Amino acid sequence: MKEILIIGNGISGMMCAIRCAELGMKVRLVAPGPSEQSQSVMAAGGINAVTERHEEGDSVKCHIEDTLKGGAYLAGRNAVEGLCSDAREIIHYLERIGTVFSVDEKDRPLLRAFGGQSYKRTHYCGSSTGKHIVSALIMEVRRFEASGLITRIMRHHFYSGLISDGRCYGALLYNEDARTLVPVYADAIVMATGGQNSLFGKTTGSSRCDGYAVGRLFMQGAALKNLEFIQFHPTTMETPQKRMLISEAVRGEGGRLFYMDGDRKVFFMEDKYGPKGNLMTRDLISREIIATGRDVFLDISFMDRKLIDSRLPEVRDICAKYRGIDISKEPIPVAPSVHYFMGGLAVHKDHSTNILGLYAVGECASIYHGANRLGGNSLLSAMYSGKVAAESISGESAGRKRADFESYIFAEQESFKKMLEADSPFAAMHIRDMLADTMREHMSIVRCEDSLSKGMEDVRYYLSVADRIHYDTSVSAYTNYSLCGILTLALAALTCADARKESRGAHYRSDYPEAGDEFRAATIITYNDGNMQVTFDRENTYED
Amino acid sequence: MKIRILRQKTPDTEPYWESFNYEGTMEISVAGVLDRLNYGDDIINDLGEKTDRIGWECSCLQGMCGACAMVINDTPALACEAFLKNLKGDEVVLRPLKKFPVVHDLIVDRSVIHETLKSTNVYIGEYNPKEKEDHEHQYLVANCLKCGLCLEICPNYTNGKSFYGAVYANDCYLVKARNRDKSRDISSSYAEHFANSCSKVLSCMDVCPMHIPTMSSMAKMNRG
Repeated sequence: MKEILIIGNGISGMMCAIRCAELGMKVRLVAPGPSEQSQSVMAAGGINAVTERHEEGDSVKCHIEDTLKGGAYLAGRNAVEGLCSDAREIIHYLERIGTVFSVDEKDRPLLRAFGGQSYKRTHYCGSSTGKHIVSALIMEVRRFEASGLITRIMRHHFYSGLISDGRCYGALLYNEDARTLVPVYADAIVMATGGQNSLFGKTTGSSRCDGYAVGRLFMQGAALKNLEFIQFHPTTMETPQKRMLISEAVRGEGGRLFYMDGDRKVFFMEDKYGPKGNLMTRDLISREIIATGRDVFLDISFMDRKLIDSRLPEVRDICAKYRGIDISKEPIPVAPSVHYFMGGLAVHKDHSTNILGLYAVGECASIYHGANRLGGNSLLSAMYSGKVAAESISGESAGRKRADFESYIFAEQESFKKMLEADSPFAAMHIRDMLADTMREHMSIVRCEDSLSKGMEDVRYYLSVADRIHYDTSVSAYTNYSLCGILTLALAALTCADARKESRGAHYRSDYPEAGDEFRAATIITYNDGNMQVTFDRENTYED
Repeated sequence: MKIRILRQKTPDTEPYWESFNYEGTMEISVAGVLDRLNYGDDIINDLGEKTDRIGWECSCLQGMCGACAMVINDTPALACEAFLKNLKGDEVVLRPLKKFPVVHDLIVDRSVIHETLKSTNVYIGEYNPKEKEDHEHQYLVANCLKCGLCLEICPNYTNGKSFYGAVYANDCYLVKARNRDKSRDISSSYAEHFANSCSKVLSCMDVCPMHIPTMSSMAKMNRG
C-alpha cells in the first residue's frame, strides 16, 4: 500500500488526503494545529461552479474564459479547462458529504455574483464558505481516520525535503513537543502549506501561512512560478490587530464603492466602468482605489437588514466587533491589502513539481490563476488540486529504492541542536518585521525598477545576517529556523517582479505601464547554490 | 495596566505567575496586547527583569479559528475578541484553559476533543436528511471552532474520559440531521457521552464565540 505524506491540513490538504484514502492509499496528514485553525476557514465569499442549475446563458466554457481573462491569459488553458469542467462534480461532492450551503426555500443552492464573472455562479455558505467546507471535510477525514487510512500528526512543522538526485523521498519534520527533527519517508509528498503571507507581515490571512516550506524547497531545487503576482484585495478594513477582509460578497450583493467630494458621494467605479463597476476584477479595483488618493468606503447600508443578517452575517459581525460599525446604517472604510498569492511551487497539470515524488496543491502551488485570481476560484482550486494530485499519485508506480539520507539528517540535527542551545535574546521576528516593511514599500500595488532594486538590497542584507545570528530560544524553534527560507522566497519574489518589465494583472510597473507580448508567459525562477535564475515559460512546459 | 499571566515553561514544570506593564490603547484585544508585549529587543516583566517571551497560539486573529482560547479575568474567551476597554478593573489576569494539559504558557493540548469525536464515529458520511431541514440551526452548528471554551466553563466536563460536553452534542446533532441512517447510532453515543450527564447549566452557551444554540441541538436530539 502506498504511503503518502501531506504537509498542511486546510481544504486542499484534506481533500488530497480523502481522495488518496478513497483510492486505497495510506496518508499521514501533518500540520501544526487542527484543520479548524487552517487559513481555509477564513475564505469567505464562495466557490464557483457552473452546474445544471446555472443562470441562463452561462456555461463551463464561459467559466473557463472568465478565469483565463481574469488571469490576464497567463494561466494554462488545459489546466483551467480541467478546473472549471470538474467544478460541478466538486459542488455535488460537497453536498454529498453534508456541507451546509445557503439554499432557497426549495433547498436549491443560492448563487451570488463575483468580480470578473459574466454570470452568477458562486455557491456560498453565508459569508463563511471556507469554514463550512472545512467542517464538512473534517468529518470526512474522520471517517477515514476511523478506518486507519488517514492519520493526523499535529504539532509538527515542515523542516526540509529529503531530496536526492531530483527525487523527493520524504521530509524532515520538526516535532514541537519533543523539540527534535524527525525524518518521515513516503512514496509521495504533497505540499499544502498555503500562501506566503508573512512576507508582508500581518495580512488578511492566517499568520501561520508564511511561505517557509516553499522557500526551503526552492533552495533544495524546486522551481517556483509567477511570484510577482500577488493579489491585493480591494476591500480590507484597518483594525488594531490586523487588516480584516471585507468579503467580495458585499459587492456581490450590490455593495457600492465611493469617496466623498465635499458633500457629494462619488461612485468612481460605476462612473468609469458602468453599473457593473463594483464587480470588476480585484487587481483593477485595487489600482483604481489607490488612484483616487482619497479615503474610500464600501456601502451596503441600503440593503434590507434581514438580508444582511442572512447573507452577510460574518461581515456584519467583524465590522461591529472590531470597528463598532453597523453596516446596515453606515459605510465601511476600505483600502487594498495583500490577500492571495497567485505564485508558488511550479506544478504541472497533474500537480507534480520538477522534483519527482513532490507534489503541491492549494495556494502554495501556482497554476490556475495566472496574473490575477477571480473571487470564488480559490476554494474551487483548493478542492480540485487536492483531488487531482491524489489521482496522479495513485497512477504512479511505487516501490522505488530509498536514497541514503543518514549523513544529511545527522548534519541537520546537529545544526538544529546548536540553534536550540544558543542563548540569545535575538528575536527572528524582528527581521520578519523588517522584511514586511521592505515588501510593503517595494513590492506594493505600483512597482518600479529603482524601488525593486532597493527592496532586493534590503533583503540581501537581512539574508547576510540571518545565518550568523544566535536566536532567541524562548520562542518556538520554528520561528527561528524558518527565517532563511522566508527571506530567500522574498528575494525570489522581488527578482521575478524586477524581471517582468511590463504590467499585467496584479503586477503593475509604473516604468512599464503596458502589457508586452514577449511577457505573455509564466515566470519561472530556480535556485542553484545561492544564485537565482529567471526564465519565461514561453514553451508552456508546465501546461501538461 | 497590569497584565498578570499564569506561565509554565513545559508540560512537566511547575506553573508560576508573572506580571507585565502595558501602556497603550484600550481599543485593543488581549491578542494585540500579547503581540505588543512579545515585540521588542527584550521582553521585560513588571520588576524590570528580562524574561522569556510569552507563549500563546493564534492563526486568524479574527475570531474564526479558536486557537487563542484562554481564561481572561476568570472568563473563558478568545483573546482576539476580548477588548481591554470591555474588561473591568486595572489588571488583566490570563491563564491557560485548565481542563486541558498545558503545553507551554497559554498553549494547551486540546486533542482530546478530536479524539472523542473520532472514537465515536461522529461523521456525516452521506448527506441523507431525515425531514425538512432546519438549515439556519445547522449553519450555526457547523461554525463550531472546537476551541474548548464550552468545556472549560462546563461544571460536568472534567477530562473528556466519559462526558464529552457541548462541542460533542452539537456535532452529534449535525450528523443526525444530515444523515438519517446514522440516527440510531449517533443518538446512542449522544446519550452515553452527553445527555446522561449534562446537568443543563447551559453556561456553554454564554461563552460560545460562535453563539451556537446548544439547547436547540439538545432539544432536537431528545426528540428522537
